[in-house]
Amino acid sequence: MPLSQQHTLLQELESIHQAMDAPLDPTTHDLLHQAAQLEKWPIAQLISIFERNNTESLIKRHAITRYMDTHPDLFGKQACIFGVTGTPGAGKSSLIGELCLSLLEQQPDISIAVLAIDPSSQSSGGALLGDRTRTQFPVNNKQVFFRSQASHLDLGGMGKATFHVMRLLRKFFDVVMIETVGIGQSEIEVQRLSDHTMLVMQPLAGDQVQFMKAGIMEVPDTFVINKCDEDALAKKSRHLLKASLKLAQIHLSGDEAEQAIFMTSATQRKGIREVAEYLLKVCSVDRPDNFDEQEVYFRNKWIREAYGEFGLGVFEHFKDKAELSRGTFEEKELAYKQLMANFLTKLK
Amino acid sequence: MSSDKQAHKLYDKEGKAIKDRPWIFRTYAGHTNVWASNELYRSNLGKGQTGLSIALDLPTQCGYSSDHDIARPEIGKVGVPINSLDDMKVLFDQIPLDQMNTSMTINGTSMWLLALYVALAEEQGVDIADLKGTTQNDLIKEYLARGTYIFPPEDSIRLIVDMYEYCLHNIPSWNASNICSYHLQEAGATPVQELAFALTTAITILDAIRDRGCFNEEEFERCVGRISYFVNAGMRFVEEVCKMRAFCEMWDEITTERYGVKNPKYRRFRYGVQVNSLGLTEEQPENNAWRILIETLGVTLSRNARCRALQLPAWNEALSLPRPWDQQWSIRLQQILAYETDLLEYPDLFEGSHVVESKVNDLKEQAYAEINKILDMGGGVEAVKTGYMKTSLVTSQGERMTKLVNGEQVVVGKNKWTEGIESPLVKGSDGGIFMVDADAAQRTIDALNKTRSERDPARAEAALKRLAEEAAQGVNLMEASIECAKARVTTGEWSDTLRAAFGEFRPPTGVDGQALNIENDTLTAVRKKVETFIETHGYRPRIVVGKPGLDGHSNGAEMIAVAARHTGFDVIYFGIRLSAVDIVQSALEENVDVIGISLLSGSHNEITDQLFEELEKHGAREAIPVILGGIIPTPDFDALYDKGIKRIFTPKDFDLMSVMSEIIDVINEQKRA
Ligand code: B12
Ligand SMILES: Nc1nc2c(ncn2[C@@H]2O[C@H](COP(=O)(O)OP(=O)(O)OP(=O)(O)O)[C@@H](O)[C@H]2O)c(=O)[nH]1
Ligand SMILES: [Mg+2]
Repeated sequence: MPLSQQHTLLQELESIHQAMDAPLDPTTHDLLHQAAQLEKWPIAQLISIFERNNTESLIKRHAITRYMDTHPDLFGKQACIFGVTGTPGAGKSSLIGELCLSLLEQQPDISIAVLAIDPSSQSSGGALLGDRTRTQFPVNNKQVFFRSQASHLDLGGMGKATFHVMRLLRKFFDVVMIETVGIGQSEIEVQRLSDHTMLVMQPLAGDQVQFMKAGIMEVPDTFVINKCDEDALAKKSRHLLKASLKLAQIHLSGDEAEQAIFMTSATQRKGIREVAEYLLKVCSVDRPDNFDEQEVYFRNKWIREAYGEFGLGVFEHFKDKAELSRGTFEEKELAYKQLMANFLTKLK
Repeated sequence: MSSDKQAHKLYDKEGKAIKDRPWIFRTYAGHTNVWASNELYRSNLGKGQTGLSIALDLPTQCGYSSDHDIARPEIGKVGVPINSLDDMKVLFDQIPLDQMNTSMTINGTSMWLLALYVALAEEQGVDIADLKGTTQNDLIKEYLARGTYIFPPEDSIRLIVDMYEYCLHNIPSWNASNICSYHLQEAGATPVQELAFALTTAITILDAIRDRGCFNEEEFERCVGRISYFVNAGMRFVEEVCKMRAFCEMWDEITTERYGVKNPKYRRFRYGVQVNSLGLTEEQPENNAWRILIETLGVTLSRNARCRALQLPAWNEALSLPRPWDQQWSIRLQQILAYETDLLEYPDLFEGSHVVESKVNDLKEQAYAEINKILDMGGGVEAVKTGYMKTSLVTSQGERMTKLVNGEQVVVGKNKWTEGIESPLVKGSDGGIFMVDADAAQRTIDALNKTRSERDPARAEAALKRLAEEAAQGVNLMEASIECAKARVTTGEWSDTLRAAFGEFRPPTGVDGQALNIENDTLTAVRKKVETFIETHGYRPRIVVGKPGLDGHSNGAEMIAVAARHTGFDVIYFGIRLSAVDIVQSALEENVDVIGISLLSGSHNEITDQLFEELEKHGAREAIPVILGGIIPTPDFDALYDKGIKRIFTPKDFDLMSVMSEIIDVINEQKRA
């Protein structure tokens, strides 16, 4: 990069830095207050700000985060986050739909957001977001919010955008559910974002074997075998799963096993209540706030994507610099970009 | 005597040279309300028509009474509304039921309509054993193509089997269902898919009947004999001739081999036809007259595989519902073919043709392979639930559209020879368009209220209670439904009771994972626009494609959804039969850049109002642009633009990439504003 361009980059970063000092603009301020009342469109517009990849959104994200942090009376929630993952077509969306209805029934004042991630097309980059088809929520009910997100070819089907959106949603809702697709990376990543991960499988479909091969069986906190429309099928599936877990050397003591394995039928509404009750129990237990760890994970992921291993090395080297670990995610991100830009200028 | 016989002539038993009787000429009719439709039927019967083919409106087909919110925009639009036995009485006023052959295009609520018909006959003192007719009642194709399903597949199959059981014992001349491949072709099916999916449907029904064990061997054979078909015939008419021959042969083989039917009479493939409408164009609509004629050849040329009944679309198919004159013009075609030509004087023309035989065998082979694949996957119901068949149809529709866009399939006036003199036909005073009198709906609602207030509430309640109980017990529901009919239960009440018992079902949309094979300059240009948008705004443009109301025409919405993804949009599409509220809510939650509505049922004016009202409530009316596509008559354009619709697309906008280009323009205009 020519030197002159490095200078303009530095100048640009500096001007972003200054823009971050500005208070929250009135429009976004209003959106936030409406969102706190669980108004759908304001929440949706804020989500978009957290998903978008441009300077304007970065600055807004920072301002919003700062505002929320300084108004804990309005934005003091710390949602219980459930990651729902498993093979395509296992019934994740259907199950989430039924679980939400059951949660609403059991705890009428609960608020739930669902974030469903679908894969983007390799060739066009576009995505068909169809998970909504599988849920039948009461309309105009502020207590359930549904949002689709395209993976945008992020490895593992979740990326910065998902992380950012979770930063937001966790402040508004009691429960957030994230649905991802695929075997492999996404199970690991969704676990990073979640307090509790559920792996949804089909009965007798050989999923378990695949998961074991991929080393996924260790990841989830709960196993759900969905599509157990008939009781006989449920029994057989439970048996098989236990055998696979044993093979994978995952030892669940009797009680634990009872708690960690569920058989459901989303279409017949069987076994749903049990899972919902269990989720509520998980929510009621004090959870460690692992947000900092999440932040580190997704920051590193971003650095690696933008600057490669070298970028991570640079970070490691300078990690004691205060500005790298101060303030909002956006401030840290900016501080790092400035550091990199400076570093590169000096290299020249 | 026999030595004198000539191979090109037809002879009767006495050896006299004869001519075949023509097929039955049908016109599908019904609209506005029961009074208007009764008048129409009586006038048609007065002109010598012998059977009735009844079109019901969408609320009746989907199980809603006319005063339900979702029903209001649709009352009487595409058929006649029936709310109770009182409506049925008016509809058949002065029409002798025991002399009629009544065919009803009804599916989700077919048991209810049959119950009403039986109850009417019983109240009039007609022996129900004398009733003749058909309820369409093929739910598998509803999930795949037509969209008026209500209950989950297993429960739908149960109702169908209930009807076969009841009819065989009580109304032996009633066709409890009609296996339809017509709608599959309209949804994009290839000839092989049509053969395979329709025959799989028949197998699914017959297996279910056999498994119930309600018939002895002789009864089961008769029941197989009652299975009739409703098929389609498109422009590749030689292939269609072969497809019909393949159908006949395959049905004979399946009924022999799978069901052991001994009597050849019960193995005969009986079918009615409506020829292809999907290929009829909005552009140069007068050309459609030729297309209809050519399509008719496919189902009439073979004597061994000739249709029993035929109904034809009209030249203005892609413009609006046909007016009486348009229908008359199509009937004339049938009359000319049957009476002016020598078609009916010959034995089968193709017997012994190596070309035809080879083509038939080829179709059969591929169709059997597909049938076996589906049966291996667990059969028809399973293939509905997994979306296998639906996905295949959307793929085929995508391929069809791609060929149109790329010019691989020539359609005169559409993608070739598009210039020409405008037809005087479309210049008639009404612009060639049929309009339903909206005020007539009020009369229907008044009648419904009258029925409700005059009936014996205790009897109605008891009848519904019995229906619910017997639904849970697994008893045949025909008797309980007939009692509901007599107790003046309404269409909505009957359906709601069974909705509570069975639940509702939304089949897979089939759009996931679909790709288009379009790579042209327009695509490159649109993708560039999308890239610029992403650079400017930091995200991909988002669109929700919505199908509000009861309209089941999904092809257009599916193609737009797939095309939008192909150009790089993030697309939210979640199927048909949603309310305006559902769609606005999804648009808000997903914070989309544009709402794309697809409507072909004629209710676009009312539904547009509902949409804008709902957007207004959330303060989003000015913020999210709304575009509209489907069958939208030109005279409606101005009013729709005034309401705030940003663009309107109709069937002539088949170039999907140009459509997408305009959509991104709409989004950019909004961003600038
Ligand atoms: C195919 C078809 C069917 C199929 C539908 C299969 C399916 N799954 O879609 C079947 C056989 C099931 C069917 C059934 C019926 N049909 Co029909 N059908 C047609 C037909 C022949 C073609 C429609 C079509 O699919 N075209 C192909 C697609 C790709 O094109 P399109 O939908 O026009 O979409 C294009 C544009 O319009 C635009 N577009 C459309 N939507 C959108 C949305 C957006 C956002 C954008 C940007 C663009 C856009 O872009 C698309 C791509 O080019 C039309 C007549 C015709 N030739 O147009 C009648 C027609 C629509 N049907 C009609 C009727 C009456 C019915 C029935 C009600 C009959 C009955 N009484 O039972 C039933 C009702 C079914 C139901 N549940 O609603 C009438 C409607 C009359 C009216 N509006 O007043 C028509 C006009 C025929 C007629 N002249 O009578 N039908
Ligand atoms: N028989 C049966 N089918 C089910 C059940 N749950 C879901 N399905 C069906 O399985 C199919 C896929 O369901 P989804 O909920 O979309 O599955 P998913 O895992 O979210 O799928 P993707 O998001 O595409 O990976 C649909 O046809 C559902 O109707 C169940 O419990 N029993
Ligand atoms: Mg899903």
